[in-house]
Amino acid sequence: MTLARSAAVPTLDPGIAWDALVIGGGATGAGLLRDLARRGMRTLLVDRSDLGTGTSGRYHGLLHSGGRYVARDRDAARECIVENRIVRRIASFAVEDTGGYFVATPDDPDDYVDAFPALCAASDVDCEEVDVREVLRRNPTLNPRIRRAFAVPDAAVEPWALIEGNVADAAALGSMALPYHRVVGFDRSGERLLAARVVDIRSGTEYRVMAGQMVSAAGAWGGQVAAMAGAKLTMAPGKGTMLVFNQRMTDAVINRCHMASDGDIMVPVGTVAILGTTDIHVADPDHWQITRAEVDELLDEGEKLFPKLRRMRLLRAYGGVRPLYDPSETGTESREVTRAHVVLDHAPRDGISNLTSIVGGKLTTYRLMAQDTADAVARKAGVTDRATTAQEPVPDPHGDRKGRYHWLGGRLAAHEADGGGDAALLCECELVTRSQLEEVLDRRWPCSLDDVRRLTRLGMGPCQGGFCTFRAAGAVADHAARTTSDPVAIGDMTEQAMADFLRERQRGTQPIAHGRQLQEAVMTAGFHWGTLGLGSLVGTSPGSNAQR
Amino acid sequence: MTIASVVEAALHETVGLSTDECLKCNICNEVCPVARVDDRFPGPKYVGPQAQRFRLAAPVPINLDGRPVHSPDRTVDWCSGCGWCTTACPAGVKIAEVNNRARASMRAGHRPRLRDWLISQTDLLGRFGAPFTPLANWTLQNRPVRWLLELVLGIHRKAPLPLYAGRSFRSRFKRRGGVLGRVGEVDLPPPDRAVVYFHGCAANYYEQHVADAAIAVLERNGFQVIAPPQNCCGLPMISNGLYPAARSKARHNVEVLAEYARLGYRIVGTSTSCTHTLKAEYAEMLDLHDEDARAVSAATWDICEFLLELHEEGRLDTGFGRIDLDLPYHAPCQLRSHGIGLPAMDLFALIPGLRAVDMDHDCCGIAGTYGLKKEKYDNAMRVGEDLFRRIDASGAAETACDSETCRWQIASATDRPSRHPVEYLAAAYAAADATGTADGTAH
Amino acid sequence: MPSADVAVIGAGLAGLLTAVRLAENGARVVVLSEGNGALHWAGGPIDLGFRPGARSAAAVVGQLARRRAHPYAVLGADVAPALDWFQRLATDLGLPHAGSLSGGFGALPTAIGGIRPVSIVPEAQAPTLQPWAPGERLVIAGHAGYKDFWPRAVASSLARPEVWGGFSRPDQVVGVAIDWPGLRERRNLNALRIAEHFDDPDWRAAALDITARAVASTGSGPVRVGLPAVLGLRDHARVLEDAIQRFGTPVIELPLVPPGIPGIRLHDVLRAKLRALGGRILIGERIARVEATNGTVTAVATEAATRDLTTRVGALVLATGGIAGGGLVGDPDGAIREVVLGLPADGPPIQRWLHGDPLDPASLPIAAAGIRTDDALRPVDPLRPAEGPLFENVRVVGSLLAGQQWMVDRSGDGVALASAWRAAASLEATAAPATRSSRGAEAVR
Repeated sequence: MTLARSAAVPTLDPGIAWDALVIGGGATGAGLLRDLARRGMRTLLVDRSDLGTGTSGRYHGLLHSGGRYVARDRDAARECIVENRIVRRIASFAVEDTGGYFVATPDDPDDYVDAFPALCAASDVDCEEVDVREVLRRNPTLNPRIRRAFAVPDAAVEPWALIEGNVADAAALGSMALPYHRVVGFDRSGERLLAARVVDIRSGTEYRVMAGQMVSAAGAWGGQVAAMAGAKLTMAPGKGTMLVFNQRMTDAVINRCHMASDGDIMVPVGTVAILGTTDIHVADPDHWQITRAEVDELLDEGEKLFPKLRRMRLLRAYGGVRPLYDPSETGTESREVTRAHVVLDHAPRDGISNLTSIVGGKLTTYRLMAQDTADAVARKAGVTDRATTAQEPVPDPHGDRKGRYHWLGGRLAAHEADGGGDAALLCECELVTRSQLEEVLDRRWPCSLDDVRRLTRLGMGPCQGGFCTFRAAGAVADHAARTTSDPVAIGDMTEQAMADFLRERQRGTQPIAHGRQLQEAVMTAGFHWGTLGLGSLVGTSPGSNAQR
Repeated sequence: MTIASVVEAALHETVGLSTDECLKCNICNEVCPVARVDDRFPGPKYVGPQAQRFRLAAPVPINLDGRPVHSPDRTVDWCSGCGWCTTACPAGVKIAEVNNRARASMRAGHRPRLRDWLISQTDLLGRFGAPFTPLANWTLQNRPVRWLLELVLGIHRKAPLPLYAGRSFRSRFKRRGGVLGRVGEVDLPPPDRAVVYFHGCAANYYEQHVADAAIAVLERNGFQVIAPPQNCCGLPMISNGLYPAARSKARHNVEVLAEYARLGYRIVGTSTSCTHTLKAEYAEMLDLHDEDARAVSAATWDICEFLLELHEEGRLDTGFGRIDLDLPYHAPCQLRSHGIGLPAMDLFALIPGLRAVDMDHDCCGIAGTYGLKKEKYDNAMRVGEDLFRRIDASGAAETACDSETCRWQIASATDRPSRHPVEYLAAAYAAADATGTADGTAH
Repeated sequence: MPSADVAVIGAGLAGLLTAVRLAENGARVVVLSEGNGALHWAGGPIDLGFRPGARSAAAVVGQLARRRAHPYAVLGADVAPALDWFQRLATDLGLPHAGSLSGGFGALPTAIGGIRPVSIVPEAQAPTLQPWAPGERLVIAGHAGYKDFWPRAVASSLARPEVWGGFSRPDQVVGVAIDWPGLRERRNLNALRIAEHFDDPDWRAAALDITARAVASTGSGPVRVGLPAVLGLRDHARVLEDAIQRFGTPVIELPLVPPGIPGIRLHDVLRAKLRALGGRILIGERIARVEATNGTVTAVATEAATRDLTTRVGALVLATGGIAGGGLVGDPDGAIREVVLGLPADGPPIQRWLHGDPLDPASLPIAAAGIRTDDALRPVDPLRPAEGPLFENVRVVGSLLAGQQWMVDRSGDGVALASAWRAAASLEATAAPATRSSRGAEAVR
C-alpha cells in the first residue's frame, strides 16, 4: 500500500520553472541546493527516497583530517583538512570534536610510521606525536602493543543533521527539497533538457519539472540518471561495509598508521562506535549483500586495534556504496580509482548543454564538491555570484547548539534538565521523546519510521527497534487518525510502518548476530511473535489469516 | 581526579563495558526499591546501561587537559546503591556499580557537600565523639539539635544515628591485652589458630557488644583474635562519590591487612558491608587491582560465612544452649552482594529454640548513608515500610540483621532492638555454659 | 559446604515448576538463577501448541509428538497430567487458569493490535475462550499517555477482520484513551507502576469509574472491555473482580511488551510456594563451575565476591533457557555454547542462525537450538545419542530442550510444564539418598 498524503504537505507546483534541478539528496545534493540558492538560483532538489539514504547516510561518520590520504593522495588530504576546518566552523552542531589518533600497531610497517608526520606536514594536516601511554590510559581497550601514536583533528560528523541544515538554509531562500520524488526521464529538445519527469512515489503522480539547469548529484547512481538523459557515464561503485558497536570503546577516532585499508578505523559517532570499512566493487549500487565472511574479516582487522573486539556488543552491520568514478570509464575494480571528485559537463561529452554531473568525492568535502559544481552550473546559467558557503554558518536544524560542537551527553543532559524519567521516552536506548517523534511526524508526514529514525535516532540502540517500534507505531496511528477516520486505513498504515521498520532494523542484525545481540534478537522475536502475536499482523505466520 | 587514578582505572574497564550485556528487558526496573517509591528516580535501566551510552568511554572521564568533564547526569543521585538491579539482572550488567561511578563523575570537580563529606567520615566522627560520649549522645538525641542538624547540614532529624558506646573497642581490647599491631610489631599465633578481626567503625565506636560477641564466639572455637590498625573501609565515601578519599582509606587498610593475608591469616568482619567492600569494591569501584588488594580480598570473610564454613568442616562448636525466641531476620543488600547465600539463617538453625524467619524483603531503605539525608529519608522509610509493618505484625521482640546501618534503621522504625546474628551465637554459648546442659559437641 | 538434593539452575517457568514439584514430594531443592527469569517477560497465556486449523491443543500436541525433533516426541504423554497439576496448583495459589487441552482455541488481542491463539489463559484473559456473540463489541481502553498501550492504534488494527484469522471476533472494535488519575504527572510510567496503582483500592475505584463511563460512552449492547495487562500485581484477583463488577462486562487483559505483569504474578506465587515448601531460591547466582565424577554431578559452585560458593547436590536440573533465556550462547566463531556444563548443543550453522526475511517466523532457525536428551531428559550428545546420557543425574527442562520452533509451534509453555513434570518424576525415581544426611543442608531451615 502507499501512505496517504495529508493535505498539509506542500506539493510540487508544476507551473514553476526552476533555475536548477538537483537530482540526489545526499550531502552533496543538499550542499549544492544551498550553494545555488545562495547564488540566487531558485533550485529544486528531488530524491527517490528520503534525504540522506544513499551513501551520505551510510558511511562511517568520519570528518576526515586528511590523515588517511597523506601517503596515497596528497591533494585529497589537503582538501580534507581545509574542508574539515570549514565544516567545523559552519556546521559545528553536526560535528563532535572527538579528535583522532593514528596508532602504530605491531602490524604496521615502520617506514610508514616514521614517514607519517612528514607526510602530514606536506599536506598541511595537523599532526602531533603523543605519549602512547596517555593514549592507552584514555582508551584502555586499545591494543596495548601499539608503540606510537599521532594526534590529528579527525572528528565525527552526523550526516542527517548536516543535510537538514543545508536544506533549511536553501528553503529560507525559496528553494526546496522533495524526498520520495524519483526522476524517471527527461524531456529533451535538441541539446537541451527541457524538463525532468518526476514521480511522487507515495501518490504515484507524475510531474514535469522545468528547470534551466539539471544537475545530477546522484553519486553511485549517477550513471542511471545520465542514461535517462541520453548521456553516458560509467561509475565504479565500491561497497563499504561497516560494523556498529553498542557503545563507544573510545572517545577519539582511532586509525591504524599504515596505508589506509579495510577494517582499520574506529569512529565514535554519538552513542555508538563504527568500525570501517571494506571496499568491494559492485555492479549495481542497489543490489549487494553483507556476508558473515565480510564481517569476520572486518573483525579480524579490527582486533589489531582493539583486541577484545569480539567480546564487545555488535548491534548491526550496514553498507554504503562509494560514488567512485573511474575517468577511463572501464568499470574496473574500485581500489584503483580515485576518491577525488570530478565535475562533468555533459555538453562536450554528450552534447547536452544543460546537464552537469558531480561524481566521486567524500562527505568531508561535500561543501567543496557543491561549490565546484555550482561554479560550473552558475557559469552555464550566466550567474556570476560567488559561493558564500564557506563563510556563512549552516543553520542548526534543532536550533539550540549554535556555534558549539555536538556533545555526546547533550541529549541526556537536556532530558535530565526536564526532570528525566522514562514516561516520555518512546525510544529508551537513544532517548527519543514522544514530542521529538511527533515533531518529525508533523513536519515530514507522510513518512516512514525509518525517516523518523534518521532525524531522531529512533531504534538505533541495542534493542534495534525491538521495543520502540510499537510505541512509534502508536504515534503513527494517532497521526494517521488526523488524515482519515477509517480505522481500517489507520490500522493498515500503522501496520505498514511497524513492519517496514522491524524488517529494516532486523536485517542489519542478521550478518553480525552473536552473543548478546543474538540473544536480544531472539528474545525480542520471542515477545513479538509469542507474547504480542506479530504473526497475525505481518501475515506470514501460522495463526494469521490464510487469505492475506 | 589525579592522573594516577586515571592510570589505574585505565587498566580495568569491566564495569563500564558490562552495560554492553543489557537486553533492555526491564527486570532491573521491576526490582528497584527506590523507583517503586520515588518518581524522581527513573530507575536502574535508565541511569545505568541506557545513560551509560551517553557518557564518555574513558573509565574516568576527563578532558584532554585533565579536568573532569561536565557530567550529563542528575537523577542518578537518587539511586540508593542497594544493588538489587545487579542481582536481578539476567545478563550480568553491573548496574549499581555503573551508577555509583556515574555519581562519582557527577561529583568530580565539585567540592563535596559538607553533609555528604561529614557522614562519610565515620572513623573521624567516632574518634572525635567517643571521648565525649555522654555529651555526644545527648546531642544526638536532642530534638532541637537534630532540627538544627537538618536545617544546617541536611541530615534528617528522624534519621537513625547510632549512639556512642564510650571508650572505643580498640582501647578496651588493648586494655585486656588484645593483639593490636601490624605484622612484625607483635608476636603472632599461627594462622590456623587466629583470625584478623576487621571491626569496622560501628563495632569500634557504637556497637562494642557486637565485637565482644564476635570475639567470644571466635575464641570459643579456638581462634585468637588480632585487631591490627585499620581505617574505615571507605564504603560511606564510595557511596557518596568521594572516591579519592575512599581510595586513601582503602590503600591503608590493604597495606596493613595484606601483611596478614600473605601469612595465611583470615580476615573476619562483623560488618557485612565492610567485608563486602574489602572483598569486592576495592577492585570494582576503586580500581585497586594490585596483588596486595587481591590478597586481602581473597582472605576476607563475613563472620557468619566464616562460622558456617567452620561448621561445614565440622569444626564449629555446636554446643549451643537454648534460646526461645521468634526472630525476624533481614538479609541486608550488602550480604546479597557477597553471593554467599544466607549463612546467618543456617547458623540460627543450629540454636535450639530459635525460630528465625527470613523476612524476604528487598531493602530496609537506609542503604548506608542514603536514608540519613534529609531529601532521601522519606524514600528510605517507604522502601522499608513493608518490612517494618511485617515485623510489627509478627509481634517479635527483636530482630536480626548482619549490617549495622540496617539494624539502626530497623530498630528505629520498629522501635525494638535489632542485633547482629553473632550476638545470638554468643548468647547461645553463654546459655549453654550457664545451664551446663548443652548437648551439642564439637565435631 | 551447603547441600541440596536437587539444584535447579534457572528461575523461569520450567525451573520454578520443577522445583515446586520436587519440593512437593519432599526433596530439598535450591533454585540458583543468574537473574530473574523469563517469566518476567510473559504475557499470561500458557501456550501448549498451535497449528492453523487445529481444533484443540491436544491435537497439536499429538502432531508435534510425531515429529522426532520436537521435545513432545518424548514428553507428549506428560502434557495432560502436567497441565492438570499446573491448573490445580495455580488455582491454589490464587491465579486460576481457564481452558483445557481438549477445548478449542480463542484469540487473545494484544497491545500491538494483533491476536494470539490461546488455549490456556489466566482468569483475566478467560473471556477470549468464549466465542463472540452477534453484535458484541470490543472496547479497548487505556491511559492516554502510557507509551506501551495506544488504545486507538490497537482498536484500529483489530478493526480489520483479517487480523483475527479464522477466529470468532467482535462485531466492532472501539478504542478509548482515558486519563487515569495522577498518571499524567508520573515521570516514570511502566506496567509495574500502573499495576501498583491498581493494587490501591482508592485509586482503583476512581480509575475503574472513569473507565466504565468512557466505555459506556461508546454505545450500548453487549461488550467486552480490553485493558492493558496491568490489573494489579499483589491484589490482582480483587482488581479483576472489581473491574468486572464495575463494568458489568467481561474483562480481557492484553499482553504488553516486557515487563509482563501476568508473568510476574505467576513468578511471585510460584516463588512463595517454593519457599513455603522449604525450598530455597537464590537470585544473582551465576554458575562458576560444576563438579562431577564419573558422569555424576556432585556440586555446583556459584560466583561470589572473592570466592565461589559451592553447594553439594544430588542432582542438577538445567532450566537456563535457550538462546533467548541465556542458557545457550552463540559465539562469534559459530559455536553454540551451553553455559553451565558445556553440553554439546544441537543447532544450525552460524550462516543460518538468523536467515531470510525477518518478518517470516522461519527466519530464526537458531531459536530451535538446544540440548538433546533421552526419555528421562538426561542430556545426550546430539551426534551420538545412542551412547547414552552424558550425566546420570542431570535433567534438562524448558526452552533449553532442542527442536522447539516456538514461534511457529507455540508450544514453549507446554514443554516447560511437561518437562518439569517428567524431570521431577524421573529424579524421584532415582533419588540419591546419600545427600540427605548432609548437616549443612539440614540447617537450611
